[in-house]
Amino acid sequence: MIAGAWICLLSPLAGAVAITLAGTRISRRTAGWIATLATFVAFAGALVAFFGLRGLNPDDREQMSTAYTWLAVGNFKVDMQILLDTLSSTMMLIVSGVGGLIVWYSMGYMAGDDEERRYFAYMSLFVFSMLLLVQAGNFLLMLVGWGLVGLASYLLIGFWHQRAEAVAAAKKAFVMNAFGDATFALGLVLLVWKTGTLTFSGVFDQVGSLDSTIVNLVALGLLGGAVAKSAQIPLHTWLPDAMEGPTPVSALIHAATMVTAGVYLLVRASPIFEAAPDVQHLAAILGAVTLLVAGLVALVQWDIKRVIAYSTMSQIGYMFLAAGLGAYGYAIFHLMTHAFFKALLFMSAGLVIHHLGGEQDIRRMGGLHRAMPKTHVAFLVGTLALTGIPIFAGFWSKDGIISSALATGGSLGWTLYVAALVGAFLTGAYSFRLYFTVFRGPESDFVAAHAHEGHGEGPRSMLIPVGVLTVLATIGGLVVIPGVWEPFLTWIDETAEPLVSPTVAQDYGTSAIAVTLAVIGYYLAHRAFLAGRQLVARPEIWRVLERKFYFDELYDALFYRPAAALSVNLRTNVEEPVIKRSLDEIGSGTITVGDEVARAQTGLLRTYAVALAFAVFILVVVFVAVR
Amino acid sequence: MAGPDVGWYLIVSAILFGIGALGVMLRRSPLVVLLSLEIMLNAANLILIAFSRQQGNLDGQIFALAVMAVAAAEVAIGLGLIVAMARRRLALDVDQADALRG
Amino acid sequence: MGNVLVWVIWFVAAGACLGTGVAVVSLTNPFYSALALIGNLASLAVLFLLLSAEFLAAAQVLVYAGAVMVMFLFVVAYLGGRADAPWAGGPPLLRAAAIVAAAALLVEVVVVLGLAWGDELTSPADVSTSFGSPAEIGEIFLTDHLLAFEITSIVLLVAAVGGVVLGTTREKEEGA
Repeated sequence: MIAGAWICLLSPLAGAVAITLAGTRISRRTAGWIATLATFVAFAGALVAFFGLRGLNPDDREQMSTAYTWLAVGNFKVDMQILLDTLSSTMMLIVSGVGGLIVWYSMGYMAGDDEERRYFAYMSLFVFSMLLLVQAGNFLLMLVGWGLVGLASYLLIGFWHQRAEAVAAAKKAFVMNAFGDATFALGLVLLVWKTGTLTFSGVFDQVGSLDSTIVNLVALGLLGGAVAKSAQIPLHTWLPDAMEGPTPVSALIHAATMVTAGVYLLVRASPIFEAAPDVQHLAAILGAVTLLVAGLVALVQWDIKRVIAYSTMSQIGYMFLAAGLGAYGYAIFHLMTHAFFKALLFMSAGLVIHHLGGEQDIRRMGGLHRAMPKTHVAFLVGTLALTGIPIFAGFWSKDGIISSALATGGSLGWTLYVAALVGAFLTGAYSFRLYFTVFRGPESDFVAAHAHEGHGEGPRSMLIPVGVLTVLATIGGLVVIPGVWEPFLTWIDETAEPLVSPTVAQDYGTSAIAVTLAVIGYYLAHRAFLAGRQLVARPEIWRVLERKFYFDELYDALFYRPAAALSVNLRTNVEEPVIKRSLDEIGSGTITVGDEVARAQTGLLRTYAVALAFAVFILVVVFVAVR
Repeated sequence: MAGPDVGWYLIVSAILFGIGALGVMLRRSPLVVLLSLEIMLNAANLILIAFSRQQGNLDGQIFALAVMAVAAAEVAIGLGLIVAMARRRLALDVDQADALRG
Repeated sequence: MGNVLVWVIWFVAAGACLGTGVAVVSLTNPFYSALALIGNLASLAVLFLLLSAEFLAAAQVLVYAGAVMVMFLFVVAYLGGRADAPWAGGPPLLRAAAIVAAAALLVEVVVVLGLAWGDELTSPADVSTSFGSPAEIGEIFLTDHLLAFEITSIVLLVAAVGGVVLGTTREKEEGA
């Protein structure tokens, strides 16, 4: 069982190393197979670990395994240790399972690309890093995984490095994440200082006895990291730009797994957050704000991947909402279902993009349900799951979150409840807008011109994973039927006891309202589509939403411009005159001195003879004086 | 010994050495430089022999003999150089040989 | 009486020595300089005789004045008109510096050596009449100073070879 966990962790790493070392000696396709198989082996390991854990007594379901001591300084020790408990085993299954499907899909999507091997090496690296993050047994190792996924994300966003936009997007993602990494690390520093340890159990045992300012600061630090990694407001601007990467990358990293790492952190470190309730509520509020803002912006985007990206941002807002209120089980449940349907949506979008030869602007699409029937079904299922239509996966998880807000009560609970319901309406609106624009209606000229005649919708390597995810998005939510059967929630509860549990009545009541709102959203989108106009009519509102509430411009003015101005200033006023000039002068000064000294080199024999005579004179004096 | 003491010879030798040195440093014809060099060598010989006489030790004279032989060799080579210079149509001017000029 | 003669001869020889020395250095025509040097060598030979170095005096005249200077004269004659370069030129300070250097050396020799061995300079040793004779020189040269002898002969050999090498330039260099 523990061996399964280690195999799960190390298999993708082995795959990445193998592909890197083999270099051009293996074919591109082989690299793809290595990556895919490595990830599926990881999934097998995760299954073994999961079932092994299930076979144990609930009290024993927290297994630590240490490989070796990584650092030891005085009393402070950090081991290379993995933790196998209900939470981590669930995450392992999600990461390796969905990851394996997406890597397999990439074999078809990236076929023919010149640098395919590099891509698969990076993908394997990413899967390893994400698994390290979720399996880490202490905060420091988690931070290592945290940083590595950031690295993999940077490498993969900028994969097509010939495109300037991709490189810029990769940098933006990395820098914003670096800010989060820094706050995370600072939080850890505080923890080491005050508790002397970084293992989960060590910290959680002591968190009750810490001063409340310290706990708040630590929680804020961790929250900062989570907000950056999960692209919540205010550190969200990198996610839409990250769509420059290949579509499978968007599916894996920026939908299913990496961006959910923040949620995982909130749940894993729940004892810390529970000791700092203000920070926890802040997380919920940020989640609510994000889900609204992202939902609004998604209404006006023209790029198919960007709509889905904002949708991701919005859904993670739901997860933050849940974790912030203490409904950990629902947060992780929504994480899982979201992984299914969001990856499904991205991969279907990838099929569309692939079919249309790289086109991503939805204004040029339309009527694809005839040319791509299978993709159409997949996308529709994904949309239904996303908007929370029963019985699809999203219905069970999202409504659980919304009703948790209801169960919390108080001013916070009610505000969040209303926000979440509005979000449900928005989700319905933008999702169906996207669906109608891309798939329904008459075939656009572009589609007619570009249809790949007789090629089918895509190779098997792309269609089978999509099919699997379609099934999962349909039935994946059935592990939590409130009032009837809740194995998933009880499973997660063993690791993270929820602070709030909605009653069955609250649950179904909320569901009714949420589904109604989603259907209203569908209806409005349909009407707008049939009338050939957009949902957002007013040009001023349109502009604000299109500019994404001017966050990019704000950050540019607040951070980038001053920094750039400062660096230019330093260059002209400090580096040029002070440093460069003085160094230059050392050089020219040496040359001048050299020239002066060289004047003694007249080349004339006679001057040398004179010099000799003087030298002899002095030497004799010296010798005789010494004598 | 008959005649002046070593001290007188010392003075003569020193003056002769100085004259030779001046010639080396001030003349531009390589031939004359070589001649001045000979003067310096002879001045050294003189003082060697003078001291040899004063000490009663023949080693000084042996040394002087060796110096003479070496001077002869050196003159031979020096003259060979000058002849080679003349053959190459270079001006016989010590100041012209300034290839070491930096 | 004999002593006075010796002194007179000494002064004449010394004067001739220094005079011809100055002449060597200051005459513009190298031929005349070479001749002056021969005079210098001759007067030095006289001084050697006064110092009981008969063999060396003879060697001086035979080897130096006889062979070396003749060689010199050959070359001067060969080079002929090309051998008259002006007296001085070059950097302005050179003359002054040269005179200063020469004077310094001169004074130094006198002062230093005088100071160092001042007391010992006034009592010459007593020597036998065969001091400085060829027999004595030969004996010492071939016993105590054999190494010097051998090395000197090697030096002469090297010089001979060098002279030949310097003298024979390849014909094609001449033409090029």
